[in-house]
Amino acid sequence: MMKLKKARMMVIPLVMLLFLSFSSAHKFYVSVTNIAYSEEDSAFQITSRIFIDDLDKLLKERYGIEAKLATPKESKIADEYIEKYFRSKFVVEFDGEPVPYNFLGKRYDTDVVICYLEITNVDLSNVKTMSVQNELLTDLFDEQKNVVHVKWKNNKKSFVLIREKNKGMLNL
Amino acid sequence: MNRFKYCLASVLFLFGAVVMAQEEADVKEEREPGHYNQSKFKQLYEEFSTPNTYRSASGAPGPDYYQQQADYVMDIHLDDKNAKISGEETITYHNNSPDDLEYLWVQLDQNVRAKDSKSPLRDGNGVNIAYTADNFAQTYISEPFDGGFNIESVTDDSGKPLSYTINQTMMRINIPQPLKSGEKISFSIKWWYNIPDHTVNRARSGYEYFPEDGNRAYVIAQFFPRMAVYSDVEGWQNHQFWGSGEFALPFGNYDVSITVPADHILDATGELQNRDEVFSKEMMKRYKQAKKSYDKPVLIVTQEEAEAAEKGFATDTKTWKFKATNVRDYAFATSRKFIWDMQAVKIGSKDVMAVSLYPKEGNPLWEEQSTKAVAQTLKTYSKHTFDYPYHKAISVHAKNQGMEYPMICWNYGRPNEDGTYSDRVKYGMISVIIHEVGHNFFPMIVNSDERQWGWMDEGLDTFMQYLAEQEFGKNNPDVIAPNEKYPSRRGEAAKIVPYMAGDQSYISPIMSNPENVYQLGPNAYGKPATALNILRETVMGEELFDHAFKTYAQRWMFKHPTPEDFFRTMEDASAVDLDWYWRGWFYTTDYVDIGVKGVKKYYVSNKPTKEMEKYMADRNLTEADLPPLVYLAEEDSEDFSPELKGKSPTETSQNLKEFMMDNMTEAERAQVKEPKYFYEITFDKPGGIPMPLIVEYTYADGTTENVTYPPEIWRKNDAEVKRVMATEKELVGIVVDPKLETADIDTTNNAWPKKEEKSDFDKFKENIKGDK
Repeated sequence: MMKLKKARMMVIPLVMLLFLSFSSAHKFYVSVTNIAYSEEDSAFQITSRIFIDDLDKLLKERYGIEAKLATPKESKIADEYIEKYFRSKFVVEFDGEPVPYNFLGKRYDTDVVICYLEITNVDLSNVKTMSVQNELLTDLFDEQKNVVHVKWKNNKKSFVLIREKNKGMLNL
Repeated sequence: MNRFKYCLASVLFLFGAVVMAQEEADVKEEREPGHYNQSKFKQLYEEFSTPNTYRSASGAPGPDYYQQQADYVMDIHLDDKNAKISGEETITYHNNSPDDLEYLWVQLDQNVRAKDSKSPLRDGNGVNIAYTADNFAQTYISEPFDGGFNIESVTDDSGKPLSYTINQTMMRINIPQPLKSGEKISFSIKWWYNIPDHTVNRARSGYEYFPEDGNRAYVIAQFFPRMAVYSDVEGWQNHQFWGSGEFALPFGNYDVSITVPADHILDATGELQNRDEVFSKEMMKRYKQAKKSYDKPVLIVTQEEAEAAEKGFATDTKTWKFKATNVRDYAFATSRKFIWDMQAVKIGSKDVMAVSLYPKEGNPLWEEQSTKAVAQTLKTYSKHTFDYPYHKAISVHAKNQGMEYPMICWNYGRPNEDGTYSDRVKYGMISVIIHEVGHNFFPMIVNSDERQWGWMDEGLDTFMQYLAEQEFGKNNPDVIAPNEKYPSRRGEAAKIVPYMAGDQSYISPIMSNPENVYQLGPNAYGKPATALNILRETVMGEELFDHAFKTYAQRWMFKHPTPEDFFRTMEDASAVDLDWYWRGWFYTTDYVDIGVKGVKKYYVSNKPTKEMEKYMADRNLTEADLPPLVYLAEEDSEDFSPELKGKSPTETSQNLKEFMMDNMTEAERAQVKEPKYFYEITFDKPGGIPMPLIVEYTYADGTTENVTYPPEIWRKNDAEVKRVMATEKELVGIVVDPKLETADIDTTNNAWPKKEEKSDFDKFKENIKGDK
């Protein structure tokens, strides 16, 4: 019954969802994805920052892999499964059609893992709308929030995505 | 030397005239309107309230400073079977204010969990595209949990009922006669409420249920009706408790009896009065050992004993009695699952006990790190503020918690079921313990108003947390290996850049009420902590900062400071004008961005420049009409000729040579080092916050020179400044903020010649190409 409050927390809008820290030093479930258009490369460059231990736990719960990320004993198949997971939970569409992306790899920074993705050969003048579906970790944590910032030319737009509202749309 | 002065005066005069001439040319047709003082260096007279006899302009308490006192005698009973708590309390309230009070306000924080609480209603929402079935049921079908206070009676000291009015989380006691200045009043409240499961609704207080053994571990706080603060600043601080703005509480003395199942292990705020009654002989023996153990904790209750106790479920009870002097709140933790360890820490001339309380689910992490982290916190914080004045500091393990009370706090950090744990869990746990134990200093002792100013305790504490974490790392290299220093999440300048560079629509100034900000984490914790760290390391220097910070802590120890008391004290004790810093970092959402815009190279010349020729022609002057002048010719202009290159100024300027021969002896001339290179460097500042301009100059021979221009360099032009460098060696490179110590949000403009700075993305891409 006490889940009530949490449930309501999940349906409130963007403004409140950015509110990440409840009490004095609370653990929170959040990822931050930056999507930036590079004129030079005609590509969308994507970096996604996720807490290492959240992703570690995901790989264990979803795929049964002891990934041991960011340790000397890191599993050799971890990258393969992270990519597989991204492809099922992170989808970009142009004008309603999914677009393929390259999963370039990952690196670590303190307690987060940064994943690098790229959508190449983008002709912005031929694309009217873009949507970003980001369900990363929402299958594991009810409270997971995925912040997505998109920058193209001189425009920017941000979304906070949750399990029930997993997709953000914008007009390019 | 008269002639020298004359010459200088003429040049200055000329300079002024040239500037005026340019201004005339720029006059626009339309007259610009006037404006208020927009200087970033304007003093904060409008933002600060006027100092008075309660609070001095120095930032210290004034001669008429007062604070109220609330003493409590409480008898608390825990009903473990039904997860209910009940209590009878007598509050003695001392009115030390000069005002007579017509009524008293008491805080009923648990009403935020009442069925009719307005907290869930205050945020707008919309219909989702889809709901999971369980969320839908919880949102629209389930009955809300009834966790509000049940007030059974409010009576005066003769037992007669007192009238009261409850408005959400605040209760007004309608006393029959005003409480006169200098007088005190006693009244009693009888109450009970249902304890929430804090693991499902993220409450600060409640229980965790362990289905494997059927036990609960309770961490109980803001559990009794508490007096609100009455002060010279707010009157009654009766802003409702909505959930984010924490607490404002007066100091007082507590006499508390807590009755729990007889097989529970309990610790709480205050000194235990009946240790002989509640401890076994073995526990007493171990406790005596712990008081003499300065290097490692001694177990008072072992894991084996706790595991045996888990099976007990005693039906009889035990009463634990505590007294606490000069505390602003009261909290306790109790369970039959608790393992208990302690060690002594020398603080000044006194011994303080560092204590940990944790269920077996916390091990092995908790037995390894908790008490160690508590001890480090007490040492580092005491060094920077005042000697920790209480006799103990307790860290209790509670899943997902991080919350502070006097002498006791709840902390997360749960290993996996097989006892393994990730680095994030380990560092998260050590950091949260340092943070929450650190809160004993801010706000438990330096008692700021958390309901109004979240940053005053969170920001100062997070700043101190960074210092304590770094010392923990230095003292425990084995714990942090392979890291060379403790991986602090907050504190370093560069770590706040993503927030400061973020979407302005979701950033609030630090000086905002915690309920009304978009991102409480960076707003009340990360940004103020980083601002203080930059102030210490880059703006003031450690010595001036540390003295001023300590002065603030000692002035306001066991008192109620406001933000201005902090801002004023930091200046008062250091003689550093910081109004510009408080304005930029605390009152606005401005960010730091400073760059180098351009560099022009000049050579000394005897020939008037084109600009000078025009100046003379406009005024019908010839060189003969003017005193001897020295000119600087820019390399890319028509004034430049190649023969000026590579020569010393006296070689290319006859006027300068003659001046030196007339005014200096041969010996003096031999001493002079003539600069060969002249540069005019333009620095620009796209960011709103003025900061020291930290510049690293690199010369052709590979040597570097670091110059820090004070922030005041921006006081007359907030957008752009120029500096002339006269050097003996050729300048080949300039970098602004080379060590990234100012939280500059855009470093692509920080270097000359402009470096093609690759984005993080491009760097990564290049690296992986290299690997393949």
